[in-house]
Amino acid sequence: MTKTEESIDKSDVTDAEIIEIEEQTIIRAPKRSSSEVKTASWVNYLIVPAIFLAVTLLGGFRLGAVDSAFIFLKPALVCLVFSALTLVLYARSGLIDIEGWISQDQPMLTNASSIAILITLFTATVQLYSSLLPEQGLTFWVVGFCFFWTIWNNLFAEFDPKRLLRSMVGLFGLAFVVKYLVLTNLTAAPEGSWWQRLFENPGKEAFTWLLDLPRYSAGTGYIQFFTLSLYLIGLFLLPRSLRR
Amino acid sequence: MNENYSQILCIALVVAGLIFISFLYTTEPKTFAEVATKSQVVVGTYEINKEEQARGLTQFRAEDFAGARAAFDRADPEKRDAGTQFYVAYSYYRQGWGRFSNDDALFTSGLAVANSVVVLDPNFRTTDAALGIKTATELKTEFEEGLKITASDFNPMRLTRERK
Repeated sequence: MTKTEESIDKSDVTDAEIIEIEEQTIIRAPKRSSSEVKTASWVNYLIVPAIFLAVTLLGGFRLGAVDSAFIFLKPALVCLVFSALTLVLYARSGLIDIEGWISQDQPMLTNASSIAILITLFTATVQLYSSLLPEQGLTFWVVGFCFFWTIWNNLFAEFDPKRLLRSMVGLFGLAFVVKYLVLTNLTAAPEGSWWQRLFENPGKEAFTWLLDLPRYSAGTGYIQFFTLSLYLIGLFLLPRSLRR
Repeated sequence: MNENYSQILCIALVVAGLIFISFLYTTEPKTFAEVATKSQVVVGTYEINKEEQARGLTQFRAEDFAGARAAFDRADPEKRDAGTQFYVAYSYYRQGWGRFSNDDALFTSGLAVANSVVVLDPNFRTTDAALGIKTATELKTEFEEGLKITASDFNPMRLTRERK
């Protein structure tokens, strides 16, 4: 017997009309002022994609060792795979709620702009991996494997957005230290002839040759540090959902 | 700002940004100046530097071929003008030509430039009356013949031939 029938039995009313009232849950969220909404819209639709576009531009950017000429490196295929897995990780951990970004009940313009922002997130992540992975040789495979191992493990772990963000900062920070501090210090400068370099600094020359390390200008490390910082700021500003 | 406007701006920003980034990664400019010239090529406003071209021609006629090539490079940094590139190829021919034997390195470089002239304008024909070879295809054949070693290379009558 249901609760409604029970209450009717207990009452002595005759010729009564049964009116079913559906239970309703009302959530009262604090109302945002129009200036807050404007700021949020400004940040979400303009600042965040601009940050991710800057990361996309700078991620593959290097400066040549001899003349500081611009070098634009196209990302390796594995960077696209890592980026796709990372986006799945962001969605699984709740850092981004896909339904809050793209949904049938949202206007087409909102969905289109959400897709545009998510595309910039994807391209920025691709370029960030391109920035942090060594370009070639044994180190490319070793660091690449470490990235894959970490992302794969994280895919099956329980994460909340804060923990994931901390984990990503740690992962990217360590990769930056390995590439732009450790490996760069093992790379011999391109000045002088091969024999001269071998006599003056045999250790560095041997590491450069064995690990197939590319030679870039010192400015490259600074640019990539800026790129990594921008990406993390973008990730911090990225809203979980675009729905109000 | 109305949210719809920010959404439209967002889409425009992303499309424009991705096009610009793809352009940079495809053309791979080495300096800011190259970014500007490559943008001119894409937009269709690229023009050669006439002053540098005139300077190159003067040096070419004075037989300073290395100097002429440097001036032509400054005149046409994107190597898109068939006329200028024809003179570059011709400078390799005149510098590399020898009565006994040709300079293979210069002829090889010249052949590459002549090929690029054929790609730029297959029907190119120079109006310079002082040049013996008028088209890029003829120049290309001249380079190819000069690089080959054949029985005719040992013909003593070869010593009487003239540079074109």
